[in-house]
Amino acid sequence: MAEITPFTYRPGDSILHLLDTRLKFFIISLVNISMLPAGFISTGFYFFMLLFFFKKTGLRFFSMLSNMKFFLILLVFVFLARAFTITGDTVFSSFGVTVSNQGLAEGGMVAFKFFLIMLTGIIFSATTKPSSVKTAVQWFLKPVPFVPEKRVAVMISLALCFMPVILRQAKEVSDAQKARCAHLQKNPIRKTIGIVLPLLKKTFLSADNLILAMESRCYSDDRTDPEFNPSGKERGFFFGSIAVSICLILF
Amino acid sequence: MPKAIIDIKDLSFIFDDGFRGLNHISLSINQGEFIILAGKNGSGKTTFLRHLNGLLMPTSGTIRVNGLEISKHLIETRKTVGMVFQDPDTQMVGDTVFDEVAFGPENLKITRARIKEIVTKVLETLNLFHLKDRNPSTLSGGEKRKVAIAGILVMDPQVIVFDEPFSNLDYPGILQVLATIMDLHRAGQTVMIATHDIEPVIFEATRMIIMEKGSVKEDDVPLNLVGRLESYGVREPCFSKFGLEPQSWQK
Amino acid sequence: MTSSTELKMTVYSSLFVALIAIGAFISIPIGPVPIVLQNMFVLLASIILGPLWGLASVAVYLVIGLAGLPVFAGGTSGIGKLFGPTGGYLLGYLPCVFITASISKGLGKKMSSDIIAMLIGSLIVYAAGVPWLKVVTSMTFQKALAVGMVPFLIGDALKILAAAFIAKTLRPVVKL
Repeated sequence: MAEITPFTYRPGDSILHLLDTRLKFFIISLVNISMLPAGFISTGFYFFMLLFFFKKTGLRFFSMLSNMKFFLILLVFVFLARAFTITGDTVFSSFGVTVSNQGLAEGGMVAFKFFLIMLTGIIFSATTKPSSVKTAVQWFLKPVPFVPEKRVAVMISLALCFMPVILRQAKEVSDAQKARCAHLQKNPIRKTIGIVLPLLKKTFLSADNLILAMESRCYSDDRTDPEFNPSGKERGFFFGSIAVSICLILF
Repeated sequence: MPKAIIDIKDLSFIFDDGFRGLNHISLSINQGEFIILAGKNGSGKTTFLRHLNGLLMPTSGTIRVNGLEISKHLIETRKTVGMVFQDPDTQMVGDTVFDEVAFGPENLKITRARIKEIVTKVLETLNLFHLKDRNPSTLSGGEKRKVAIAGILVMDPQVIVFDEPFSNLDYPGILQVLATIMDLHRAGQTVMIATHDIEPVIFEATRMIIMEKGSVKEDDVPLNLVGRLESYGVREPCFSKFGLEPQSWQK
Repeated sequence: MTSSTELKMTVYSSLFVALIAIGAFISIPIGPVPIVLQNMFVLLASIILGPLWGLASVAVYLVIGLAGLPVFAGGTSGIGKLFGPTGGYLLGYLPCVFITASISKGLGKKMSSDIIAMLIGSLIVYAAGVPWLKVVTSMTFQKALAVGMVPFLIGDALKILAAAFIAKTLRPVVKL
């Protein structure tokens, strides 16, 4: 996955890396929900807090922004749509559109909040090992009826293993197509089939091999439970996050 | 008289489409042997191997592992006969080396503490411990095969079966895997290797079985068969071609 | 269902989870707008895996994205993405996969029935995605349609035709 997205896991040993993943889930959900009614001051405060943690992950802020181009453009849309539609004290008015103070303020806030939620998600992805995401998901699904959480965990593992295999095979297929001058093919349907069909045949073959390998290693849904390695600082972060969300709701 | 671990009597297998995959095979595999299973592509090697741990079931005939009929004792069989497949990329199910090796024991519902212990021990034996947190897809070819071997070894099998362990490997990779297999054999492990390239292992093996069209054509000490190999579509090792003394690949 | 077909379906569904995830990032350059493969893999998952396992793969895909693995388009993930402006399309995959699979199964897995099933399935994705986009961004409905549906329709038609052909060739290989 490393080649396709800059937001993958970065190994490290910061406190955010070590924190129990289940708690990280809890904190993110709590903070994201309390962000909805939050006012300007507390949102700004939260932004600086995020920047502080962001620095700890070792990600580069501006390279991240440039990788989020598409999302940022969408945020501009959100901002403009609000700015034009909400009425109030007029700032300026021409060509039949009116932009109000309230519109600008509210559009700005909504876009900013989306941005912060995104940033939170990126910090989480960068500091959390995919395998511990899997075990945490399994833990949260355990009380959910009709969901075989152990099988879901196995599916997540398998999907994570397939991704690099598929990417490699996709590259092979596309190279083989190029070598046979597939770029001259103008029919878009043939072109799509020419790439997707060989890719799927290959990946299904890999899947068949994997099934055999899993069977020969005694695959069973009834497996040893995963374990969690709390860092010992969970309590502090737990109460800290509650304090932050109270602030967000109040101010 | 050495102890027979696997005992095969009059094994035949016919595919769904009527193709005769295996033809009246009878042989036994004894404790401590190092067997090469040679033959050209399509000679039935892989079909034969898949019977050894119950991935395919005989159309007629019986296979007993430690005296137990395998169709009735699948889990037992799969613990006793471990199988390392050809393409390591499509047999990996864990997103770290440690998780990958732990997959088999987890299926057997061994306790978490015990899993940690045995996985650590196997990784140390195979000199892989420093890689335990790496994603298997980022390892070198030779390392991947070793991880695949570790994933089998951790189940403490009596026989390890390798399907083309040297395919797609560079020279250092072959030496690395060969050394691992030799160490296992010296430690008393029973080993069976299916390959069409017998060069790296012929000096070390204690027995060679040659298959053609689903039947066993030869079964003898390897050096006795040298000189007759090419009639079965198996390349003669260099020493016999150039009239030299056989020499180990191991440094 | 024997345990080994169940294992087979588990592995195939996981394969589609991976394909759907990667489909958000790989595209085929055709004309000015490259064709992103994600929704095509969702449609193929429905026709090849059937309603239940198809639903399982989309659900697992959404769960890992929700849980913070970077598998959603734009490289971003998590709860924010799912409830953000484009979240409706992602959630729309759930009814899409189930209904597409049911129709394709009900009509007998022929190429023509697959095409009908996928057409309906694609519309379901927009039926979830466009109103969601409208509400979250407070655009007008016309604008939401113009931004969030119209530009993709031609690509979708091409993908459905390609997918119908791919499914036809793949079914005997997959042997389900």
